[in-house]
Amino acid sequence: MAQDKSKKNPSTWRDLRPTSSRKPASKTARRKRSLGLLKAFSIVLCILSVITGAWYVTRSDFKQDFFAWNELDPPINQVVFDSDGVLDHRWFQNWYGPLRGRTLMQIDLHKLQADLLNEPQIASSKVSRVFPSTLKVEIQEEAPVLVLRLGKKGGGYQDWLVSSHGNLYLGSGYARNSISLLPSLSISPEQLKLDPEGRGFRRIDGIEAVTPLLELARREYPGIYRDWKVISYANPNETGPGSFVKVISGKVKSLRFSPQNYAAQMKRLKYLLLEPDFLRKPVIDSIDLSHDRSVFAKL
Amino acid sequence: MTKIIGSVEIGTSQAKALVGEVAENGSLNNEIVRIVGNGSRPMEGMRKGEIVDFRKVASSVHAAIADAEKMSGTTVDSVYLAQSGSHLKGRMLHGSAYVSSSDNRVVPHDLERASEEAHRREADEGRNYVHFVRTPILLDGQVRDDPVGMHGKKLDLSYWAIDGDEKAMRSAIHVISNYNIEVSDLIVSSIASATMVADPGLRRAGTLVIDLGAGVTDVVLYRQGFVAYSGVIPVGGDHITGDLSMGLRILERYAEKLKLEHGKAAPDPTDEKEEVWMVGDRTIGDRSVSRKAISDIIHVRVVELFEIIHKELGDLLSADDLKGGILLTGGGSRLPGIEQVASKVLGMPVRKAGAPPGIDPSLAQPENSTVLGLLHYGLQDHGLPGQRQATTNTGFLGKIAEMVGIKPSS
Repeated sequence: MAQDKSKKNPSTWRDLRPTSSRKPASKTARRKRSLGLLKAFSIVLCILSVITGAWYVTRSDFKQDFFAWNELDPPINQVVFDSDGVLDHRWFQNWYGPLRGRTLMQIDLHKLQADLLNEPQIASSKVSRVFPSTLKVEIQEEAPVLVLRLGKKGGGYQDWLVSSHGNLYLGSGYARNSISLLPSLSISPEQLKLDPEGRGFRRIDGIEAVTPLLELARREYPGIYRDWKVISYANPNETGPGSFVKVISGKVKSLRFSPQNYAAQMKRLKYLLLEPDFLRKPVIDSIDLSHDRSVFAKL
Repeated sequence: MTKIIGSVEIGTSQAKALVGEVAENGSLNNEIVRIVGNGSRPMEGMRKGEIVDFRKVASSVHAAIADAEKMSGTTVDSVYLAQSGSHLKGRMLHGSAYVSSSDNRVVPHDLERASEEAHRREADEGRNYVHFVRTPILLDGQVRDDPVGMHGKKLDLSYWAIDGDEKAMRSAIHVISNYNIEVSDLIVSSIASATMVADPGLRRAGTLVIDLGAGVTDVVLYRQGFVAYSGVIPVGGDHITGDLSMGLRILERYAEKLKLEHGKAAPDPTDEKEEVWMVGDRTIGDRSVSRKAISDIIHVRVVELFEIIHKELGDLLSADDLKGGILLTGGGSRLPGIEQVASKVLGMPVRKAGAPPGIDPSLAQPENSTVLGLLHYGLQDHGLPGQRQATTNTGFLGKIAEMVGIKPSS
């Protein structure tokens, strides 16, 4: 008997749910299911391959591996090292370490260049590939103009080179006698600051204003320059009586320059030292060239 | 853009599948659907329209679907499935509703209320509704095709509700879902085949469509364009074959051959003297059989079939109400002289249904009227006036699963 119910929707065939096993019941159905699974597996495999491939290609050393695998990039067999200073090929080899069969494409040029620039002795660097297997390294070194002797922990002292820009570095490759010819720098402890990144000392302020005098003296007045022992200065970037560069030499105990117009002052010094009275004296007490055209000397 | 749809008929003697192409907007050269693939396989495991051996039925049905898919070059995700069998029973369900608006103008909600009341009656225990076929809507006792917007007080709505055995339907659905295909809709075979062979004009005039199948005979009667009755007679072509086998004491396969090659619905005076030779095998050897004997046996069964139909329909079988006459379709309608026997028993003109227009001649056979009708019926909008057909929507995962042919378990 039909039952009256207040149910909104009577049960229809759509309410029937299969109760039997969903295992394919015919060979055709089994084949269809296998094909479906194979299709699903293939799609998943394709997606995974694409993802893996994309990850692999975006690896930084992929290009290098690619060239290497395809024998387009043989191992480096020559390093051409060129410097305008004292560093040589042996230094670079020690600094860089063994090549370990690396190819040109495996060398990160930017990083190598940056690492070289991090060396305080190196002012600029250029690294390039010369295919098929030559690495070319060109550097320009800092020119040391002064020596700064600092005490070491535990006793003793250490000579630091001061570059024309005021950088301090220990120096490598310099001949002892070339360093010994450099004048020493005398500065107050406050002027010497440690590098916050732990790379020695910060650049010393004011050296760049003194360097032209040293270069001029070394280049054009070598006889006078050779005698210079200690350099000190105060406010070299300013004008006025408070700014000066002081040199202690073997001949003159106190030689004072104004930070401006070194050429005129050196010229006056040269003529002064040729004066008979100055020539006769083995040691002159002081010469002050910092007052414009006037010279004050104490014999 | 076109859409691919499919239809499957799990018949007693044949499993049939069709793949059709339908335009999503508009039609394909004025056709609703174009058939792009078909498959047909002999059926085993069915008796009187019901599944008795699931594996055998699944094997035939899946192979038929695979043939149709292969021919069409595509796969189907869902099909319209024909449901037949003597377990199907129909009855009229009534519902009514008073017009709710203050100005007595009918709104779609009024129809929905009437429809809900009609649907309220549950099927018997162990049975589920298969199909609800709407009958004319009455507004204050007058038939109205679309009463929405009209003035009136009371709406009456009826459905010819067909319910069937739960197990039988579940088995049929399971055959399809076992092949990873969804059942879009379950459609009673008689209504499907009637949709194909009786055009709207004939249905409005009133017509009776009889689909003579192998296991069962499906019957549907139309009045004023709507279904007034449908039923299933558990007598079909296989019974005729069985009768021949018993009557002539021959194997069923020879009886089937005799029926197809020499069978007639009514004996002819010339049959008495004629004999038919059967080429035997080692068991029976060659022997001859009288044509009259064959015809007599078939005639008895055919008369019995139409007498059952006559008894089932009773007063519904009226010449005044069935101006469109009686149409025969299905494989059994091929039997020579069957329309004359039917006409004599039913007392009304009977004719064989013609080939439906726009269908390839190789497909436009009476045996295919159900599977063809499934596609056409399934695509039509059978909702209430003012309602839109619901569309299924699978989520993203569902679409991925469909793409690889894996269906999530329901």
